Amino acid sequence: MPEIYLNDIAHGRSGDKGDTSNVCVYARKPEYYKIIQREVTPEKLKAYFGDMVKGEITRYEVPSLGGFNFVMKHALGGGATMSLRLDSLGKSMGSAVMRMKIHVEDGEV
Amino acid sequence: MKKVAIGGGQGFWGDSPDAAIHMIRNADIQYMGCDYLAELTLSIMAKQQLKDPSKGFAPDFVTRILKEAGKEAWQKKIRICTNAGGMNITGCVDAIKNWAEGAGMSGYKIGYVTGDSIKEKIPQLLKEGWTFPNFDYDGDFNSIVDKIYNCNAYIGHEGIEGCLAEGADVVITGRAADSALFLAPLKYEFGWAADDWDNLARGIMAGHLLECGGQGAGGNYMYDWRNVPRMDELGFPIAELTEDTMDITKAPDCGGIICEQSVKEQFLYEVHDPANYWTPDVDVDVSHATLTQIGENRVRVGGIKGKPRPDTLKLCVGYHKGWKTVSMLSFAWPDAYEKAQYCAEVIMKKMQRRGMKADDIHISYIGLNSLHLGVADMSEEALKNLNECVLRIAVFSEDKNECAKIIPEISPLQLNGPPGASFFGGRAHVQEVMALWPTTVPRDALKIESHILEVK
Repeated sequence: MPEIYLNDIAHGRSGDKGDTSNVCVYARKPEYYKIIQREVTPEKLKAYFGDMVKGEITRYEVPSLGGFNFVMKHALGGGATMSLRLDSLGKSMGSAVMRMKIHVEDGEV
Repeated sequence: MKKVAIGGGQGFWGDSPDAAIHMIRNADIQYMGCDYLAELTLSIMAKQQLKDPSKGFAPDFVTRILKEAGKEAWQKKIRICTNAGGMNITGCVDAIKNWAEGAGMSGYKIGYVTGDSIKEKIPQLLKEGWTFPNFDYDGDFNSIVDKIYNCNAYIGHEGIEGCLAEGADVVITGRAADSALFLAPLKYEFGWAADDWDNLARGIMAGHLLECGGQGAGGNYMYDWRNVPRMDELGFPIAELTEDTMDITKAPDCGGIICEQSVKEQFLYEVHDPANYWTPDVDVDVSHATLTQIGENRVRVGGIKGKPRPDTLKLCVGYHKGWKTVSMLSFAWPDAYEKAQYCAEVIMKKMQRRGMKADDIHISYIGLNSLHLGVADMSEEALKNLNECVLRIAVFSEDKNECAKIIPEISPLQLNGPPGASFFGGRAHVQEVMALWPTTVPRDALKIESHILEVK
C-alpha cells in the first residue's frame, strides 16, 4: 500500500482562537474526499501530533464543500502572546497537518 | 432586483491599505467593512492608552485609508464600517473629525457605537453572581481581576445599523464582531427582520469571507499559491448580495483570485462546529453550504442557514500574565544543528548555575523545527547537510527579573561556545505577556448606544 503526504491530495488553512487551532482540510479532487475521511481520523491526527496538541481533536465533516474541519484544543502552547512558540498563532498548523503521511490503495490516487 | 455590494478593506491592524484604496477608486460598491481587531489587539491598545490617553485605537484607518481615499469614498457614497475605534472610540472619532474638517467635508456624518467595553462593570457582575467561566481552562476569574487590561464584549450589528439609519457616512466601533461590520449594512439595506435567521446568517458569512481581507482573494492560499495573479497587487474580496443570491468577487484591474478553492479556504477559517458558528447576531449553519464558480473571479455561495442567536455574548478579557524573553544565535555548516543544540545545553547549564527560575522554557531551531515542532523531519538525512540553523530560546516567568537573567548570557557564546555562533538582532528585551480569558457575559449587562457627529 503506497504512502503519500496528505498534502498530495488536500489543501486547507489554519486559524486560531485562544489556544484552539482549527485546520480545514479540503479534497483536491472530489474522489479524494473518502480517502481523507478514512485516513485522517481525529485519533490518527492526535497520535500524529503527540505532545504538540495537548487537548481533544474533533473532526467535522462538510461533504457539500468536499472538506473537513479539525478543531484541536490546547494546540498552540497557550495561544497568541501566551505561547513561547515562534508561530504562536499556528499559521503553520495547516501545513503541519498536510505533512501527515497517509495510506492509499494502489490506483486510488 | 436590488443588489448591494460590500468590500473587505482590512484584515487586521497593520494590514496594507492598497486594496481598500483601489477598491474605493475602482469597484462598484456601496459599503466597505474594515476589520482591525484580532483577539489580543484590544489588550495592546488598552496598554497604549494607559501610557498615552490619546492612543488606544487604530490610527492607520485615518492616516492610511481615509486621508488617501476617504473623501472619494464619501463623494461616491461608499459608506465604511470599521472597528478601528478599539479601546478609544471617541479618540478615533476626533481624529476622523479633524481630518474631515481639514478636507473641507462639511456635512460628513461620523457614526459611532459605544458600550462594548465593560471593565468597570465587572465588580457589579461578580456581586450578582456571574462567574465568568473560562472556555479553555479551569480557573477562578477572581485570580485575574486585579490584572485586567481590557474587558470587551463581542457586540452585534444593532449599534452599527442604528448609525447607518441616521445617515452615517462612516461608522466607528470598538469590539464589534468582525462579521457584524458587514451584516449591519446588508440588514439595513434589505430590511431583514431581527429574527430572519437565514438572511442574517447569509450576511454574517458575507462578512466572514471578507473580514480577513486578502486571505479571501488568494492570499495565504495553499491550493495553488504559485498561480495567484499579481500577488503584489492583491485585491481584497467583495460580496454582492440580492434577496436570493450571494456572490464573492473582487475589484476590476487588481491581482488575486476568486475561485471555489480560494473561497473554501476562508470559509471554515476559525470556524469550529460548521453547524453552529456562534456570532452575537445569529447561530450560523454552513454544514450544507455550496460554492459554485459562475464567472471569472466570481463564486456563488449557497446553502447557508441560521438559527436563533445565543443568549450571552462572548467576552474577551485581556490580562497581565507575566514576562518573556526570546534569544537567538545562528550557526552554519558543518554540523549546524549539533552546534546549536550543544550551545543550548551550555546556556541552560549556565542558567541553572545562575539560579534562573523560569515557569516555562521553549527551545527550538529555526530552519529546522521551530514551526512544525514535533512533526518536523528530524531524520539524519534532514540534519546531515544543513546549511544553517538558528537556536531560539524563549523563557517565560511571572517574575520579570528571572526572565531578564538570560539576556546577557547569549552574546558571549560567540567567543565562548561552539564555533561560528553569530549573534544578531541586538540583545533581547523582556516583553510583557498578556493572556486572554475567554468567557461570556449576559446581553443585558451591556448598554449599546449609537451616536452621530456631523462635521460643520
